[in-house]
Amino acid sequence: MILEGKNVIITGTNRGIGRAMLEEFAKNGANIWAHARVGTPEFFEDINSVAEKYHVEIRPLCFELTDYEAMKAAVKTIMSSKIPVDALINNAGITYNALFQMSSIDQLRNQFEVNFISVFIFTQYIVKLMTRQKKGSIVNITSSAAFDGNSGKSVYGATKAAVVAMTDSIAAELGANGIRANCIAPGITETEMLATMPEAVVAEAKATADMRRGGKPSEIAKTAVFLASDLSSYVTGQTIRVDGGIK
Amino acid sequence: MILSGKTAVITGCLQGIGRATMDVFAQNGANIFACCQYETEEFTNHIKELSKENQVEIIPIYFDLMDDASIKQAAREIQKDKKSIDVLVNIAGMTQDALFQMVTMDQMKTVFQVNYFSQILFSQYIIKPMLRSGSGSVINISSISALDGNPGQLVYASSKGAMIAATKTMSAELAPKGIRVNAVAPGVIDTAMTAIVPPEAMDRLMSKSNIKRVGMPTEVANVIMYLASDLSSFVTGQTIRVDGGIG
Repeated sequence: MILEGKNVIITGTNRGIGRAMLEEFAKNGANIWAHARVGTPEFFEDINSVAEKYHVEIRPLCFELTDYEAMKAAVKTIMSSKIPVDALINNAGITYNALFQMSSIDQLRNQFEVNFISVFIFTQYIVKLMTRQKKGSIVNITSSAAFDGNSGKSVYGATKAAVVAMTDSIAAELGANGIRANCIAPGITETEMLATMPEAVVAEAKATADMRRGGKPSEIAKTAVFLASDLSSYVTGQTIRVDGGIK
Repeated sequence: MILSGKTAVITGCLQGIGRATMDVFAQNGANIFACCQYETEEFTNHIKELSKENQVEIIPIYFDLMDDASIKQAAREIQKDKKSIDVLVNIAGMTQDALFQMVTMDQMKTVFQVNYFSQILFSQYIIKPMLRSGSGSVINISSISALDGNPGQLVYASSKGAMIAATKTMSAELAPKGIRVNAVAPGVIDTAMTAIVPPEAMDRLMSKSNIKRVGMPTEVANVIMYLASDLSSFVTGQTIRVDGGIG
């Protein structure tokens, strides 16, 4: 198995792409720190059943991404476990769909706080650990909206472009320390987030994509498995679009 | 295994990235049509051993990319048992380095024949069975020279740039029919082709590299395997740099 014996952190594993990652990473043999904002009984039950199904260890990591005290406590839990961290998958994020002229400063601040600043701070903590190990792979989830300029995505796209810029700098600064950093840019993916977009826009995007369909969350997750694994040992500072050839 | 039960056609299997790709594909369960320019005793022994060790079928196919008739003949040989083909990897290529002002018409014609015309011609034949089965994955080898420009590589870079344009167009035409088409752009890989890079140019490249080392052929082969496999089921029309973060 591609990730046999590896230990990874994945954020936002309670639903959508993150939930699919939980499954794909477990299927490929990884032990997982599974992050969710809130530790509900359903979440604990879910991760336990995945752990049992694939015979891997899955430990919950519950904190609000923007609660930096709680984040610090979670990092302490990881540190004191003495379990090495082979890969960090920054998947959790939020979106609003709003036209440029209609985007409020609160939306701007909120999206940048969750999609960029919290990712930045959390990655700083984990990179400290990886630097000590002299090894690690960081996989950040960005979006085709960071590159293509989609209507209604001026804020979301900007937060995701910021993630790409950050990732490239991490790759440049930390490559010599054995740390790789890459992004995945999903296009139209069948998740709850898709419901925030107008139906006509989604239909048009699917109809013009080379593959003529939207992506499944598991298809994004499988590229994350690849980037987390040693199969991508000479790939760093890259963004892989997993978008079915969207135009 | 990642490629269990798949049949792949790989060109350029005699050495370098092509050889490594053949090895990695065999180790991961693929049956292979191993294409090379000519037969050597070492190659014959190698594939015999490789096939035995991994219990896969490896059929050598010899032809010259300079010769359109031999390309057609090879394609016919591959198709003679009407086996389904799942993967085509176009690796065989060449370079003739010369400064822009010094490039001759002959050099341009030779390099474009091998790196572009023959690739398209061969792909046209091999894609036929993929169209019949409605699925397949094609991987073309480009180069970071095509994306970044590299002094002395006018012809090589142009031919590899042509392959990126071909990849995108092939994806647009073929992905709706179930065939994904992607490219890989290797950086400085430890092969005979880069052995001719002058030491000062090598130093310049390594100083720009995030990982600060040359890549191994296997590291490119692993990315090709990702693109050949179901791990990349929603990735098409892309060019993935495998360069340790150069530029």
